[in-house]
Amino acid sequence: MSGNAAAIAEAGAPAPTPGRGIRRIRVPQKLRNLELFLLVIVCAVNAFAVVLVQFGALGAADIGTIITLGAGLSVLVIGMHIALRFVATNADPFILPIAALLNGIGIAMIYRIDIAENLTGWESTAVRQVVWTGLAVAIAIIVILVIRNHRVLQRYTYVAMLVAAILLLLPMLPGIGQEIYGARVWIHIGAFSFQPGEVAKIALAVFFAGYLVSRRDSLSMVGRTVLGMRFPRARDLGPILVLWALSMSIIIFQRDLGTALLYFGLFVVMIYVATGRASWVVLGVGLFLAGAVIAGQVLVYVNDRFTNWLDAFNPDIYNADGGSYQLVQGLFGLANGGLIGTGLGQGRPDITPLAQSDYIIASIGEELGLAGMFAILALYLLFIARGFRISFAGQDDFGRLLGVGLSFTVALQCFIVIGGVTRVIPLTGLTTPFLAAGGSSLVANWIIVALLLRLSDTVRNQPRLVI
Amino acid sequence: MSELTLLILQLAFLALLWVFIFIVVYAMRSDLFGQRVRKLKDGAPATAGAGAGAGAGAAASPGANPAAMAAAAAAGTAAAGGAAPAAPPPPAPKVPTFVPAPGTELSGPPRATTANASRLVITSGTKSGSEIPLGTEPLTIGRSSDSSVVIRDDYTSTHHARLMIWGDEWVIQDLDSTNGTFLDGNRVTAPVHIPLNTTIRIGATSFELRR
Repeated sequence: MSGNAAAIAEAGAPAPTPGRGIRRIRVPQKLRNLELFLLVIVCAVNAFAVVLVQFGALGAADIGTIITLGAGLSVLVIGMHIALRFVATNADPFILPIAALLNGIGIAMIYRIDIAENLTGWESTAVRQVVWTGLAVAIAIIVILVIRNHRVLQRYTYVAMLVAAILLLLPMLPGIGQEIYGARVWIHIGAFSFQPGEVAKIALAVFFAGYLVSRRDSLSMVGRTVLGMRFPRARDLGPILVLWALSMSIIIFQRDLGTALLYFGLFVVMIYVATGRASWVVLGVGLFLAGAVIAGQVLVYVNDRFTNWLDAFNPDIYNADGGSYQLVQGLFGLANGGLIGTGLGQGRPDITPLAQSDYIIASIGEELGLAGMFAILALYLLFIARGFRISFAGQDDFGRLLGVGLSFTVALQCFIVIGGVTRVIPLTGLTTPFLAAGGSSLVANWIIVALLLRLSDTVRNQPRLVI
Repeated sequence: MSELTLLILQLAFLALLWVFIFIVVYAMRSDLFGQRVRKLKDGAPATAGAGAGAGAGAAASPGANPAAMAAAAAAGTAAAGGAAPAAPPPPAPKVPTFVPAPGTELSGPPRATTANASRLVITSGTKSGSEIPLGTEPLTIGRSSDSSVVIRDDYTSTHHARLMIWGDEWVIQDLDSTNGTFLDGNRVTAPVHIPLNTTIRIGATSFELRR
């Protein structure tokens, strides 16, 4: 500021020179360089994990496997980083490294279970996981290249609803639907099996965001006040009842408690964020608890889950078919791990059934201990916090709601799985985001990564003026 | 591979994991502790009374301490007839309700729309005279570096206000800011339409939407 008088003269002038005084503080590649720095650390940690598994379980390092498992993921995420340098310069620098680290630790852990079960080549779950990761990251890159502005998604609000409905119904089709461990949530085409419900959660988040942006006034403004809380009118209860019916039919027909809880929880949180009325949360939680209690009385498999949870250490239930054996083995594994764990490759996580998918968090807890488990939880916390932060800083309501919805699905999924494994809530089958073996979950979560990166780029990429 | 080596490697791995986490947390520290406040320099007066519109009487004498300047600002608003309480509202980030305010300046200048307003001009404050082009996108104002208009002074909240587009008309909404947003001297409590060439004041900065 050269002088105050000059400034006053300028303010009074009818038309100052256009654009004068706008300081571009956008330093284009600063965020990307931070991301690259973090990614280099992540790649080192991932390779270190695979080496430790080999030292612990085999006693020597095998360079070929390290290159396949470690370098595969590294090349992919660096590829995504390069794509971001061109199409999303201002995207958040933390999301990609955190997702890559979780994915890499997951691959190392799955590889460790493969060693215990003597699986090699294409039989090996770890190799398949790397291939799925490649596919998932490639899809994420395509998403970030194709969707240049997230508001495009708002146009497809009702198309997203239709897509979600079709994806949810696919496993019920007789030809391609498949029942695994009692839950009918898989489709099977050729050698591939896929869980369409994982991708449906993204379509549902898009639909809820688009729908609630246009309808939230009627959902939030009217209603009568009971006990200091404003409850909605009976005629506005339609959407929440439809969603409740959908979750209940998932529990009854697809026999999948976790997915039902995930979808319903997603809707309740998004309607709460859109309207700011706590009464929706009270209504939603009440409806779901009522439904779950009734399902526990009527449906045998739900009742079994409750019994396994409440009375896990009863020998009868422990030894029963479909009893609490898996749950209790997971807890024994966690106890065996202690504070710093048995060391990668030196525990016995393979005793627990499904140690590489549903129980991967128990396997990690055994071999990395409480310190490692908390590190994983801290990574999830940072990831979800970034997601909320991006949506908080957003300018348009659709983007804000979408960001909240997408990050909350990750949060809720972590809670449902990790809470189930650690016996906080009844165990339900869902995948741990980024960690667990399973292609559909990886694809869905990497799409979430791509959408959050796109949202964060839009937030920062706007005309700016710093005073 | 001896047990001791494996133990050391295991500890090194855990340490590396946590080092990564702390690097990330350190890099995002402004999220945890808020944006740094830039103190106004003693030599440069924050505002000049020559700002267009009413109520911008917060002329601070050089060398005044921030408290005195805040008091001066409050006095200025009271003099302008604004019904602004001096006590700051709690900064709880609750979702604002969308009550369309009654049209106040119907007889005054026409409302700013995306068609007739093309720029936002700062009329008083340290960056007086500078401007920012208006597009068809909403803008946010605050101390946070995510904002479109970043105002780093003692009076601005992290997320202070936002300019939205309803239909094609510009609307200003106060985001529960501590010191308030003033449209033509009146405190903005609910989203309100912005007339063209009318002063909006946030802390020591005023701006207008112009053709």
